[in-house]
Amino acid sequence: MVEKDKVELLRDILFTDDRVFVQKIADRIGVIEQTIEEKDKLSEKVDPIISKQLDDFVEEIPTKLGPAITATLKEEIRKNKEEIVDALYPILGKMIKKYIAQEIKMLSNKISKQLSAKRWNIKFKSWFSGVKEEEIIISNLSVSTIEQVLLIERGSGILAASYSKTKTIDEDMISGMLTAIKGFVEDAFGQKNQNLELIEYELYNIHLQSFVSYYVAVVISGNYSLEAKDKVQDLIFDFYDDFMGKNLDSLFSSDGNEKKEKVSRASLEKQLNKKFENAII
Amino acid sequence: MQLSKKIVVLGHFGVGKTSLIRRFVENSFSDNYKVSIGVHITKKVVEFEVEDTMSLILWDLEGTDEIKTIRDAYLLGTHGVVFVFDVTRPSTFQSLNTDLEIIKSKLPTTPLFVVGNKVDLVVVSELETLFKENNIKTNFLTSAKTGDTVNDMFFELAKLIK
Repeated sequence: MVEKDKVELLRDILFTDDRVFVQKIADRIGVIEQTIEEKDKLSEKVDPIISKQLDDFVEEIPTKLGPAITATLKEEIRKNKEEIVDALYPILGKMIKKYIAQEIKMLSNKISKQLSAKRWNIKFKSWFSGVKEEEIIISNLSVSTIEQVLLIERGSGILAASYSKTKTIDEDMISGMLTAIKGFVEDAFGQKNQNLELIEYELYNIHLQSFVSYYVAVVISGNYSLEAKDKVQDLIFDFYDDFMGKNLDSLFSSDGNEKKEKVSRASLEKQLNKKFENAII
Repeated sequence: MQLSKKIVVLGHFGVGKTSLIRRFVENSFSDNYKVSIGVHITKKVVEFEVEDTMSLILWDLEGTDEIKTIRDAYLLGTHGVVFVFDVTRPSTFQSLNTDLEIIKSKLPTTPLFVVGNKVDLVVVSELETLFKENNIKTNFLTSAKTGDTVNDMFFELAKLIK
């Protein structure tokens, strides 16, 4: 065996396993290179992973990013109030414009009616009273309506009778709360013999007329002028005179005297309906 | 005409007045404590027999450690009173007899029930001993949480004031 053969033999002995191993690695790298270079094969491997990651991300947005987004929005709103108002203005403007247009249309209809049918009536009224025609027209347009009437026992707030145009929340509870508010205000200001007479909220007014044992609460919608107040008071006094003065002392007395003739709630409510249902104020 | 009666529920802060009323009216309970401000009014119709009913108008007054500061206006025309204390907090019943005297001076002829609430949190026998030692007399021991004797208490009061 020559020297060269010996070296070759020694190399075979020493490096046979390594060569097989290196070959396997080279094959594997070849497959990976092919996978990366070919889009379809890469997609096949990577897409499910990305898809899973995206799903997880979407699920975690509210918890992970929500507070950060909210904080950022708040900060941006605080910093850019004017811009935000600018952005909202056209939307609100359209709504307001639509509302005003509707109101003007209704006003126009009313004025047309006034000017046609009642024109001469107004003219006469104007001549005799000295009030301008326009003022009479405007005065006629401001309508107020009685929505609800409650006859309530003073102190306890127990509802004795009611009349209502529309269905509201439990009237017993309204009576109690009105009595609590009335009691609180009258108590808080410590003025003896003075009564809360009016509660206002937006387009509604609650007129409270107190008597000795009872008070009457009248809910009015629309323009509650002095003239309307005067008419409401007349109605309440008439009602009280006609009916309550004669019957209520015996009706709700707690002395247990059964001989006294008691008036039913239904009868009271019939009277309230009769008095207030078609009342013009 | 259905009879209506005004019931006032009062007592110190956090004794469970609102919870008792809620249990009675809505048959529900919440652990979330919200302080009552001013007065809250609810209604429950109780039926004694067929066509024999009564509307209880329940005035839930805000809690106060000074019973004498309760506004007289809220007590006017009251038909029945429920004074509530918390059996787990001695501070709410230590001055019970004084509190009751104040209420009776304001409403001398009005039926009054004394109610120990939150009884689900204590051992009743131990409580009875404690009450005996401190000369405390109650009409009912209730639990707004479990509903224990809540309806009975209001029903008994309704019968009493009928």
